[in-house]
Amino acid sequence: MAFLEIEGLSAYYGKARALHNVDIAVEKGEIVAVVGANGAGKSTLLDSIMGLTAIKGDIRLGGESLAGLSSRAIVEQGVGYAPERFNLFPYMSVFDNLMVGAFTARDEADRNLQHVFDLFPRLAERRSQETYTQSGGERQMVSLGRALMTGPRLLLVDEPTIGLAPKVCHDIAESLRRLNGETGLTIVITEQNANFAMSLASHLHILETGELKMSGTADELGSDEELNKAYFGH
Amino acid sequence: MGIRWQHIALWIAFIVVMLALPEFVSKGTLRTIIFANFLAIFAISWDVLSGRTGYISFGHPFLIGIGAYTSAILSYRFGFPVAASIPLAVVATMIGGTLFFLPALRIRGSYFALVTLAFMELMYQLVQVIRPDLTGGTRGMSGIETITRGAVNNYYLSFSLMVIIALAMWLVMKTRLGTALSAIGMNEESVRGSGLDTTKLKLAAFMIAAFIAGLGGAFYVHYLGSIAPRALFDINFLFTIIVAALIGGASTIIGPMIGAFFLTFLLEYLRPVLPGAERYFIYGGIALILYMYQPKGIYEVAKQGWGRLRAVRAGAGP
Repeated sequence: MAFLEIEGLSAYYGKARALHNVDIAVEKGEIVAVVGANGAGKSTLLDSIMGLTAIKGDIRLGGESLAGLSSRAIVEQGVGYAPERFNLFPYMSVFDNLMVGAFTARDEADRNLQHVFDLFPRLAERRSQETYTQSGGERQMVSLGRALMTGPRLLLVDEPTIGLAPKVCHDIAESLRRLNGETGLTIVITEQNANFAMSLASHLHILETGELKMSGTADELGSDEELNKAYFGH
Repeated sequence: MGIRWQHIALWIAFIVVMLALPEFVSKGTLRTIIFANFLAIFAISWDVLSGRTGYISFGHPFLIGIGAYTSAILSYRFGFPVAASIPLAVVATMIGGTLFFLPALRIRGSYFALVTLAFMELMYQLVQVIRPDLTGGTRGMSGIETITRGAVNNYYLSFSLMVIIALAMWLVMKTRLGTALSAIGMNEESVRGSGLDTTKLKLAAFMIAAFIAGLGGAFYVHYLGSIAPRALFDINFLFTIIVAALIGGASTIIGPMIGAFFLTFLLEYLRPVLPGAERYFIYGGIALILYMYQPKGIYEVAKQGWGRLRAVRAGAGP
């Protein structure tokens, strides 16, 4: 039994179907990437895990079904969600943004905050700064930090490198690797940048127009010629 | 959000100055300030709901009206003491606030604003038609018991009420609840994604807003000693509340208070020059220019000015 099991998942916005019959399994302590173009259904997949969209099919974490649970219950089950950095609270300070993530793990708020500040010392230095005045990389740190404040067992990260400079992407990848290596945290990221995803994840899943096109390790997918042309640019 | 000693010092200075004010100003000015105090209460109530959560209410007089009419009817028609009619009016308004909340479960944005506007219009029609023997119909009621008499006493009463509400809200907004309410206004979906129950949080905001509106409405009617549907459920009254909150600085506590005082005195000083509704063109123009220059309102202008002054003084130092 995998740590996260997604079986026959279809997701809907009203009557429009955004995901169709998706199966993904993620082992404990693994970093997995879901790669796809705009509109492929990557964010919808993460929203579905978080209970933010209507779904059919099942999602299980550690054997417990998340389907039909409220977002709050899903966070309490140990799922932390770092949405795209544009989804921060722009006129609130770094500290207040982080504290919004602390509601479900109040008893551990101080410890989790220290963990976030250890991982991203720049956030500690700028804790009073409103996030709309920050750089893209700093905002991405806040987004990750807010998700970590929930004390997750599984971290979902939506497009962490979108619109960021290569150096910042490298720093984000290092932070995620460090998180995974030091704490054994299971991480699922979505990415358009396939090369970034390949450098970070042990397994990749390719989504196209709401359907899972291919899954495999970085080596397996890297040797597929058609996929190479479409996603990796070589 | 931490509490800084400068904030506490400013609150104390403000309260001391306001308590000493009756010694230095005329009774006419005190009466103007009484209206500003009540407008500040209503603007704070609107801001808790709309300024924080982003659910723009066009029906706030509906809530104020429930508080005012309930207390007026209970005391004037049924002989309830004011000490009992006001708490009962607040409870009735909170029940009304729950009704107000229901549309927010399904709709937001301009649709929510329109539904709340319909609430106000509905209330305006109902108080005239349903049991006019109780509500006084189109003419309303006069001779309602007042809590105290005289400009000075009413000034202290309205100021005390305003400052207690403002301080209580200031403290509430420093808690996690306040942080979460502000976050809802910026990105409700993201708040849900962080594991917060936004329905409960919004209900809390609606209840707090209704509590303040009901309390303010009840005290207001017992200050005026009269009530009439046309004065209460009036679009000018509604927009004065909203503009006070916005022009002063939404999503703050001090902002709606600044806006209420600014608007009340502006309209009062314009009265001799422009006795008719033309005054509203002037204040509309000022509001427009302010929004274009600084959408965060007078509070932000003052804050930036203070910041520049400190920077200049620091630069001039040794």
